[in-house]
Amino acid sequence: MPIIEVKDLVKTYKIIEKEDGIKGYFKNLIKPKYNEITAVNGINFNIEEGELVGYIGENGAGKSTTIKMLTGLLTPTSGKVVVNGIVPNEKRIENNKNIGAVFGQKTQLWWDLPVIESFRLIKKMYKIPENEYRNNLKNFSKILDLDDLLEKQVKNLSLGQKMRCEIAATFLHNPKIVYLDEPTIGLDVFVKEKIRKFIKDINKEKKTTVVLTTHDLNDIEDVCDRIILLDKGKIIFDGEKQKFKDTYGKYVIAEFIISSKNKNVCDLNNATILEENEKSLKIKFLHDETTIVKLINEISNYCTINDIHIKEAGLEEILKEIYKGAHKC
Amino acid sequence: MTKIFDNISLYLSFLKASLKEMLIYRFDCIVGMISQIVTQLVEIIFIWIVFQNTDNLAGWNFMQILLLYGVTLISIGISDFCFDALYDIGPKYIRNGEFDKILLRPVHPLISIIGSSKEFTSLGYFGLGLFLTIIMLIKLSIPITIILILKIIFFSIVGAAIIGAINTIFSIASFWTYRSNEVIWSFYRMYTFAQYPLDIYNKFIRILITVILPFAFVAYYPTMNYLGMDSNMIYIAPIIMIILWVIAIKIWNFALKKYRSTGT
Ligand SMILES: Nc1ncnc2c1ncn2[C@@H]1O[C@H](COP(=O)(O)OP(=O)(O)OP(=O)(O)O)[C@@H](O)[C@H]1O
Ligand SMILES: [Mg+2]
Repeated sequence: MPIIEVKDLVKTYKIIEKEDGIKGYFKNLIKPKYNEITAVNGINFNIEEGELVGYIGENGAGKSTTIKMLTGLLTPTSGKVVVNGIVPNEKRIENNKNIGAVFGQKTQLWWDLPVIESFRLIKKMYKIPENEYRNNLKNFSKILDLDDLLEKQVKNLSLGQKMRCEIAATFLHNPKIVYLDEPTIGLDVFVKEKIRKFIKDINKEKKTTVVLTTHDLNDIEDVCDRIILLDKGKIIFDGEKQKFKDTYGKYVIAEFIISSKNKNVCDLNNATILEENEKSLKIKFLHDETTIVKLINEISNYCTINDIHIKEAGLEEILKEIYKGAHKC
Repeated sequence: MTKIFDNISLYLSFLKASLKEMLIYRFDCIVGMISQIVTQLVEIIFIWIVFQNTDNLAGWNFMQILLLYGVTLISIGISDFCFDALYDIGPKYIRNGEFDKILLRPVHPLISIIGSSKEFTSLGYFGLGLFLTIIMLIKLSIPITIILILKIIFFSIVGAAIIGAINTIFSIASFWTYRSNEVIWSFYRMYTFAQYPLDIYNKFIRILITVILPFAFVAYYPTMNYLGMDSNMIYIAPIIMIILWVIAIKIWNFALKKYRSTGT
């Protein structure tokens, strides 16, 4: 049985339409006019225990709205959510025992207290057994490098330090499922790496299910096995990361370092020119349609080739392509 | 039953954390306490001026009124101390989106919120109230027996809980407006009606503070009992407290449910 089950899930926000002027104000007061925004529009997916799922999409796609429904913070307009056998929005407190959640830069730690005091309160709230608490604390401190931070007041920590503590706090009670909504926003690469390693380690050790939203696709590349891609409230891809790349990104990007160009390269068979100048030429092509050898032959008619860099399209390029396509129609 | 004990023990842990947080702001705390005491002294001078022209208010003399005043302040001190964070729900928690993190805890949100109260300045009210109560009991030569002490302790706590329940009920305004603190405050301030004998008021206000917002059970009826005036009304206070809390929690849960479906 899947640990997270989402069926025909819809969330529509009602917003009061503001009218100008005093007349509009009173009109609003008596008979407000509502505008509806469907943030999540009939989505379906199942997540199995231990999966690492990247939940991605553009700004405003409906990611946070979905996560809020999964955690029971928001009541769905229609559709079904079942998490670990519980409907989160009906049995919120019971559901909370099984989950952990991080929302952007909002901290669950006590602002004026040393970090360790917050951890103690969390231990008490979730009734974490003493030895489990000690083991986790020791283990987490090691991976996230918390030793020097525990005695500091939360308000005095830098963003990266706070986030490391926040992540530790979220996993402290060994939640079965963890929702991370943009946990790496604003962090430097080293902190990001620590957090990614932490998520992977804990997942391996405890089979924790993780749903991660982020705009840093390196997070997804590094951590997730599966991608769910949301666009305007609808899922447009759901599957393994590799399949995502195969489906959308079979093309290759090659950069040729060139010299003594005799004329502009204007036409190549089955390849698109991305950039061109006196010293370099960047092209895009599909493996199925042509090969690098053919291209070298063609290009050497125009210039001397000094070097070649070849790169598979990364998630970022693929996503750009998808969004471009999605916005055309 | 274990659930209740769990909740109480959690509440105490939260409170302990608030206390530690408070110690960081010791200076502000002392300033707050002094200003509270000064405000109350001004009111007491006002009562004194009134008594320059008359020797009783609806049959109560100056010292009896001050006893009522003191008993009220004890409960107010306790309730401000325990329930102050209800004022923060709208302007602080919901406005900054901090409310979500409270909803994600495996605890009823009211316990988290109430537990984060840190209005330690209200110890000023409490201290002044205690002082007035003791002095007036002595001046009125009412024998301070163990029974009386126990009664005062018990009914002061009940009174504080009544005020807390009323504040909790009006704190649901937080789900609609960030300025909910003002809504709670305006209803809460009606306790001042119950700092004077009910007989000086017209019927409307009397019904208001005995039935609708039963502030009269916080100090007025208890004080009548301590003074040996008629009044078994004091014994209704705990029942009212329980009823009010049941209503408060029901209403609060309902409002929270509504709030979660709009998501604003
Ligand atoms: N409380 C709300 N009331 C009204 N509309 C809302 C509310 N929250 C979100 N929306 C709208 O719903 C849509 C989806 O928002 P959501 O926050 O879920 O997007 P997101 O995918 O998390 O975006 P981002 O990447 O920017 O965080 C947006 O159009 C947003 O304006
Ligand atoms: Mg978001």
